[in-house]
Amino acid sequence: MANMLNGFEGARAATFAADVEQAIVINFWISIVLFISVIGPMVYFAWKYRENNVKDEEISDVTHHTTLEIVWTVIPTALMMVLFWFGYTSMSALRTMPDADTAITVQVEGSKWKWRYEYPANKDGFVHKLGGAYTKPIQDENGKIIEKGTMDKSALYVPANTNIILEMTAPLDDVIHAWFVPAFRMKEDVVPGRITKQWFNAEVGEYEVECAEYCGTDHSYMYSRVVVLPKAEYDAWFESNEDTPKGNYLKSGDAILQQHGCKSCHAIGTDKVLVGPTLNTRVLTKEQVLDVINNGQDKLGYAMGAMPGGNDLEAMGFDMTTAEEVAAYVAGGMKGEQPASFATCSSCHGEDGAGLYGTSPSLVSYDVDLLRNVLKNGKEGMMGKMPAFPYVSEEEISAIAEHLKK
Amino acid sequence: MSKTYFDETHCAIGHPKSTFMQWMLTVDHKRIGLMYAAVMFTFFFVAVATALAMRFELFAPGAQFMDGDTFNQAFTLHGVIMIFLFIVPGIPAIFGNIVMPLMIGAKDVSFPRLNWFTFWLYIAGCIIAVSSLWVGEGFADTGWTFYAPYSLNTGTNVIMTLVAAFVLGMASILTGLNFLVTIHRLRAPGMGFFQMPLFVWGIYATAWIQLLATPVVGITLILAILEKYFGIGIFDPSKGGDPVLFEHLFWIYSHPAVYLMILPAFGIMSEIIPTFSRKEIFGYRTIALSSASIAGIGYLVWGHHLFTSGMSDMAKVIFSFLTFFVAIPTGIKFYDWVATMYGGKIVLSTPMLWALGTLITFAIGGLTGVTIAMVGVDIHLQDTYYSVAHFHYAMLGGVAFLLFAGMHYWFPLCFGKMYSEKHAKNAFYLQFIGFNMLWFPMFIAGYLGMPRRYFDYLPEFQIYHQVSFFGAVIFITGLVYMFVTFYKGIKNGEKTTPNPWNATTLEWHLPSAPPPLENHSKVPYVDFRPYEYKHGEPVVKFDYVTMKRID
Repeated sequence: MANMLNGFEGARAATFAADVEQAIVINFWISIVLFISVIGPMVYFAWKYRENNVKDEEISDVTHHTTLEIVWTVIPTALMMVLFWFGYTSMSALRTMPDADTAITVQVEGSKWKWRYEYPANKDGFVHKLGGAYTKPIQDENGKIIEKGTMDKSALYVPANTNIILEMTAPLDDVIHAWFVPAFRMKEDVVPGRITKQWFNAEVGEYEVECAEYCGTDHSYMYSRVVVLPKAEYDAWFESNEDTPKGNYLKSGDAILQQHGCKSCHAIGTDKVLVGPTLNTRVLTKEQVLDVINNGQDKLGYAMGAMPGGNDLEAMGFDMTTAEEVAAYVAGGMKGEQPASFATCSSCHGEDGAGLYGTSPSLVSYDVDLLRNVLKNGKEGMMGKMPAFPYVSEEEISAIAEHLKK
Repeated sequence: MSKTYFDETHCAIGHPKSTFMQWMLTVDHKRIGLMYAAVMFTFFFVAVATALAMRFELFAPGAQFMDGDTFNQAFTLHGVIMIFLFIVPGIPAIFGNIVMPLMIGAKDVSFPRLNWFTFWLYIAGCIIAVSSLWVGEGFADTGWTFYAPYSLNTGTNVIMTLVAAFVLGMASILTGLNFLVTIHRLRAPGMGFFQMPLFVWGIYATAWIQLLATPVVGITLILAILEKYFGIGIFDPSKGGDPVLFEHLFWIYSHPAVYLMILPAFGIMSEIIPTFSRKEIFGYRTIALSSASIAGIGYLVWGHHLFTSGMSDMAKVIFSFLTFFVAIPTGIKFYDWVATMYGGKIVLSTPMLWALGTLITFAIGGLTGVTIAMVGVDIHLQDTYYSVAHFHYAMLGGVAFLLFAGMHYWFPLCFGKMYSEKHAKNAFYLQFIGFNMLWFPMFIAGYLGMPRRYFDYLPEFQIYHQVSFFGAVIFITGLVYMFVTFYKGIKNGEKTTPNPWNATTLEWHLPSAPPPLENHSKVPYVDFRPYEYKHGEPVVKFDYVTMKRID
C-alpha cells in the first residue's frame, strides 16, 4: 500500500511482529464491542426517550439494578484480563532475548542525530563499523521536495532468519533516543550511560528505522534502515573488509561529512550558522574572539597547551585595552593594519593566524590539525558544546580538510 | 432588583472604590472563578494558535514555515500552556470555585483570602512561563515533560519554565487544600458525603491528588533546576546520575495529574445527565466511589509511561496489570450514565449535546488508552501519533469538552442570561466533526509508525496529516463560533430565572440569577438526595428567602 512503510503490511517482517499484531487485532475487536455496548444504548435511549416521546408520568425512577451492575462490572473486567494477557504474551515474545551464542550481537550507538553500528570481529579480526546520518531531502525555494532523503548510508546490514541482538547505548554527554522499526513492531529507548537491548529475526527486505524519543533539532531526521540480506550474501560481506554489502562508501570529503552527521549542525558552501558554525572557511565572530581572549580556551588539546585568557594573557604582554581592536581584526579576516598587540597572538598563532607547525590552532582555516583536535576532543566555546567524534579516521580527516579547502 | 455578585464584593485588602480594584482584590469564589476562566481561555487560544501553526508546517513533508528548532519550541509552548496553565488548574479553578461552594450550601470556600492569593500565584506562574518567550535563549525546547538529560543539556531557557511549573504546582496544592477543607467543614447541615452532588465528589477526589501528588513534581523540578545550575548529578549520566529516575519521578505526579484533570470533568457529566434526563442518577454510590478509587489506583500506574524506557520487564508487567484496574471503574461510570438515560425524558439542550458527544469521544479516548496499557502493543505505539491521538481524545475530547459542557450548563447561573441555543448547537456540531477529523487519522498514522514530535515526516504519512489539517480548521472555526455565542449571550442574552434547566442541586436554589454576593439567603438543611425527580420535576423546592422546603 502506498501509505505504509516498507514491510509494514501483514506484520511478517519480523518473527514476533505477528504476536503484536494479533494482540492489536484482539484489542481492536474487544474495543469495538465495549464501545458499542456503551454508545449503542446511548444513541438508542436518546432517540427512544426523546423529549416529545415521553410523558412526564411515564418517566421511570429506577436507580439500581444489582444484576445488571454485576454484569457490567464482571464482563469488562474479564475482557480487560484477556487484553492484559495478550499484552503480556506479545511482550514476552518481544523481550525474551535469544541465546547469545547463536545470535549476532551488534553494538548500537545513537547520538545526535545518527545511528552507528559495530559488529563483532570477523575471521580476519576486522571489525565492521557502519552507520551515520540520514541524508535530508532537498527542497526547492517553494518548499517542494525535489530529492527525497535517503537512509542508505546509515543502514544496518543483517542476515535473514537469524537472531540479531542489539546492545544499545548513547554517549554520556548525549540525550535519550529510541530505536524504532515500525515494520517489526519494536522499539526501545537508547539511554546515555546504560545498555538496553532488543532483538529481532527478520525476512529479507529493507525496513525504516526511526528515532522515537524526542532528541532535539534533527529528531525528525534521525532515520536509519535495516537491510536484511540472504544469509550467503551477508556472510560473504561479513568476512570481507568491504564497507557495506552494497560496496564501499564514497570516500569524498562531502560523503564523509554527510556520513558522520557533520552536516546536521554545520552548513557547508554557505555562511549560514546552523547549530554550529559554517565550515566554509573559519570565520570567528568578534564576540567569539573576545570570549577566548577573556576566558582562554583549554579544550582543543594542542601541543602548546591551554590558551591563556584574561590576566594570564596580560602577563604575556597582551594589552587588554586593545582586546576589542584585536577581536575586530581577527573577525575581519586579518585584513588591514595589524594592531600592535597582535604580536602576543602571533607568537603562537603565527603572523598570518594560520597556527604554528600544528602545535597551535589556525584562526583562519579548518586545517587537518584543527579538525583532528576538535574531532578527537570535542569543543566547548561560546556557541556551545560539540561532542567528540573519536572514530573518524586519519584518512577521513585529510579528505575533509581537502574538501573544505575548495 | 437585588444586588448580585457583580454589584458588590468582599476584598482581601481594604474597601477599594474602583470596580477594577474590586475585581483584583476580590475574595468572592464566583468572581475568582470567572477570572480564572478569562485568563485560562486567553492562554488556551495562544496554545491553539501554536497548534494550528504546527499543523500548517505538517501539511506537507519537508520544512516550509518552521525549522526543527522553532517547531520544537512550538510544541513545548503548546504543551506547557495546555497542561500547566489550562487543563491542570482547569475545571477545579473555574467550576470548583464558582459552583462547588454553592452546591454544598456554603457562603464561600473555607479560606477566601488564600483563594485570592492562589489566584495571583497562578498569575505569577503564567507570567514567568510566558515571559521566557522573550528572556534568555528562547523558550524551552524540551517538550512539556522536561526529560533529562535533554533539559539539562539544551541551551534554551528551561529554568524559567521549570520555575513557572513549580509556582503553578504550588497554586494547585493550595487550591486542593482549600477545597478539601471546604468540603469537609462547610457542607450544609444534614449533607453527608453521600448527599453531595457528584461534581463535589469529583472535586474532592481531585483535591486529594492535588495535595498529595503535586509535591512530588515540585521536588523533581527543584532537583532539575539544581542539576542544571549546580551540576549535582542526580539525573545526568555523565556524572553518575540516572535519566530514567527523572522519568519515574516526573510521572509519579504527572500520571495522577491525568485523573486530577478528568475526575471533575466526570463530575460535570454526572450533573448534566440526570438533569437533562429528568431522572435521578443511576448508581450514585458507585459513581462516587469509583471517583475515589480512580484517584487511589491512579497513584500506582505511572510506570506505563516507561514501557520502552529500559525499565525491567517484570516492572512493565506489574504496571500494565495495575493500569487495567483504572479502566474498570471508568467503564462502570459510563454504564451508569447510560443507564440514567434509560426510561428518562431526554432533553437535548446544548449541555446535554456536549455531554453525549463527550461520551463518544471519551469512550474512544478511554478504549485507546486500554490499547496502550497492553505492554506488547505499547512497545509498538509508544511515542507515536497513536499516543498523541489517545491523549487528545482523553484530554480535549474528555476534559475540555466537559468543561465546555459545564460552561453551557452553568452559563445562566453565572450571568443570569442565556446564550442562543441555536448557535451553541451549531458550534457543537462543528467542533465535534472537526475534532474527530483532526485526531482520528492520527490513530492510523501512529499505528503505521508515524513518530510524535517530528516536524518533517516521510511522504507515506502525508494523507493523514492533510485530513488532520482540515479537521483542525473546522474545529477551530467551531471553537471561535462557540466563544462568540457566549460573548453575545453575556452582552444581550435573554434574562433567565435562577433554575432554567429544572435542575435539583443546591446551586440552582438561589434567590437571584446571577447569585448575590453571599449565595443562599439562609443555609439550607439537607435531608434529601441530590438528584430527586418525580415525574420530571425536581422533588425538593425551596422558598428562596427562608430556604425552607415548601414541597
